[in-house]
Amino acid sequence: MSLSSGADGKPLTGIVLNIQHFCTNDGPGIRTNVFLKGCSNRCKWCCNPESIKFKPELAYNLGKCIGTKECGRCLTECPESAIYVVESDGKVRINWDLCTNCGKCVSVCPSEALYEFGRPMTVAEVLDEVQGDQSFYDESGGGITLSGGECTAQPDFSAALLAEAHRRGINTAIETAGNVRWEWFRQVVEHADVVLHDHKATDREMHKKWVGTDNTRILDNFRKAYEAFPDKTFIARTPVIPGINDNEDHVRAVLAFIRPYKNVIDYQLLPYHRYGEGKYGFLGRVYELRDFPFVPSETMHCLQRIIDEAFGRTGNPAGNLQT
Amino acid sequence: MTSSTKRIAINIGSGYVPGLDFVVAGAALAADQLGTELFGIRDGYDGLLYPDRYPKGGLVQLRPDIAQAAGHGGSLIGTAARTDPFHVRSLGADNEVEELDRADDVLKALKGAGIEAVISLVGGSAVTGLHALSVAFKLHRRGLRTVCIPKSAENDIAAVPQAFGYNSVLSHTAQALEQIRNGALDIGRIAVVEVPGQHSGWLALQSGLAALANVILIPEIPYDLARVASQLAVQAKAGNRPALVVVAEGARPAAPLQPLDEEPGGLRASLAPNADLSLGEGEHIIDRSGAAASAVATELQRLTNEETLPFSLGHLVRGGAPTSVDRQLGLAYGARAVRALQEGENGVMVVFDPPKMWMTPLQETLRQVRTVQVVSEVMQAARDLGIAFGDGR
Repeated sequence: MSLSSGADGKPLTGIVLNIQHFCTNDGPGIRTNVFLKGCSNRCKWCCNPESIKFKPELAYNLGKCIGTKECGRCLTECPESAIYVVESDGKVRINWDLCTNCGKCVSVCPSEALYEFGRPMTVAEVLDEVQGDQSFYDESGGGITLSGGECTAQPDFSAALLAEAHRRGINTAIETAGNVRWEWFRQVVEHADVVLHDHKATDREMHKKWVGTDNTRILDNFRKAYEAFPDKTFIARTPVIPGINDNEDHVRAVLAFIRPYKNVIDYQLLPYHRYGEGKYGFLGRVYELRDFPFVPSETMHCLQRIIDEAFGRTGNPAGNLQT
Repeated sequence: MTSSTKRIAINIGSGYVPGLDFVVAGAALAADQLGTELFGIRDGYDGLLYPDRYPKGGLVQLRPDIAQAAGHGGSLIGTAARTDPFHVRSLGADNEVEELDRADDVLKALKGAGIEAVISLVGGSAVTGLHALSVAFKLHRRGLRTVCIPKSAENDIAAVPQAFGYNSVLSHTAQALEQIRNGALDIGRIAVVEVPGQHSGWLALQSGLAALANVILIPEIPYDLARVASQLAVQAKAGNRPALVVVAEGARPAAPLQPLDEEPGGLRASLAPNADLSLGEGEHIIDRSGAAASAVATELQRLTNEETLPFSLGHLVRGGAPTSVDRQLGLAYGARAVRALQEGENGVMVVFDPPKMWMTPLQETLRQVRTVQVVSEVMQAARDLGIAFGDGR
């Protein structure tokens, strides 16, 4: 049995949300991000709400609906009475509380207004697409980055994917928030060259309130991984959220956590953004931080200076700031 | 048909409107008259799912004297602000967030308390309102005897001519609009005021009429602000200085106001795949309160060269004391729901269009939204008053 096969000998499949080419912010060089579906946290600022559930789920693009005068097939196809019409524009809406994600409406929608986020893919299917970017990896030192969702929450698939990527000579990286059991975390990290990992909130209660989970196990996983894999490259990251972790205390606490470990080579700050807000609409959900302001660039630069000092960097103080 | 229902409960789904206690009081008075015990479920379903949080009990018996406490505008038993019994968020044994279906726990707790049926106050099409109606419908499908009472700030529930709470919200909105219009006239600006109404423009239309708005933009009519600007210029030339534009929060331009702010791909794609603006829009893409008014005010200022002043009324008009109309609607809705349960009704919504009251199946109310008929006498009357709707007519 190879890593790419399950116990039954059949090819392993994972639920893949998206394969994004030519990314430059998720590890060294030009990278191909593979977003896996399913997450064990519930960050209120999540910019990929369609990645939270582990199964494929219905999405609806109102702009693409051609209306019930021309079509209306989904209305009769839905067994749950979960689709209704708004007469003013003649288009359908989804009652997300009644929808069971059976997918029957998707199969009859001619305009692709109704579609699904996420699909099962095998290791080979993913890598065949990823390997099309090989020449860019060769030029830039890039490779594949597993993101999510939480890629370590699909440990068998992620580990197999990264192992096979290595076999094909592709550099590997993961983006993780670390909230899984240690065995899973170790299983995936083992096959990653670079581990980009999030320190979202250092205070336990803050973490519970804004990320939805206790951070004790997350920090344990990070500490164990630093020690278990001294030759791997770890990069700590914080999505800087206004009023939550946009402060010196958080940055200094993360630095105190990571600096004893020489394999944690950097700490990056990611400014809060609202790129994902529109996607909440596709899923009928409400973005809870919709009225949050952006973090002022002065604050970001101040925090970045603290990191640069800790890493002994001089020169452009904001040179390492992700924008 | 009659039944001998001895013990029933009432709860209030998400979505606040003024005077909810009048419905509860109506049910309590009628229950007393009809020989039934009535219990209030605290905070939607939380009183059943988390009884430990309530020192006086998650279920409280409601007696006729609760009518004395009604009138302050709030809700004594609370509303379901967050909890959905079909998706209760909790931490699993492995510290992973999971959503559990605890509807059976709700049914078990009701059975344990000897409660045979539930009256639920539920809303219409706004995100939270539809949610409450759907939860009630799903509990009914799991076997709970249910009679629903319609409440809505937007009067958008299909098959219901007048939902509870709408009259109060309309009154508060019209009053606020008039005050804003008077101020805007004095300082020579155009107030652009956003009012609730995601799919339905009834509140914008009726409050705008009452406050003599110059322009009313509703979800049912995609607007063209260039046409609005030229109509405002005509009104100004005729001596009617424009001061008030009412915008329903779901009103949309016929063509996008802003060009796409960036090319697909790049950082946006890397951080948030599937979020390219070129992909189109979801159902509630603009949920930020005030976004519709802000967009209209900015563009109108550019087109008219007049200073505009954006406002968003939002939750401001959902609070406060209820009107006399809603007081009598609430009491009657509550009383009729109790009688409906005594008559053996199940899976229905009470509809009150004075003087008539009747029952409609819950499924009928889920299938569509009550919207403004664009070609209708009330719309024609508004146009005859000189009010513009952004369609150039």
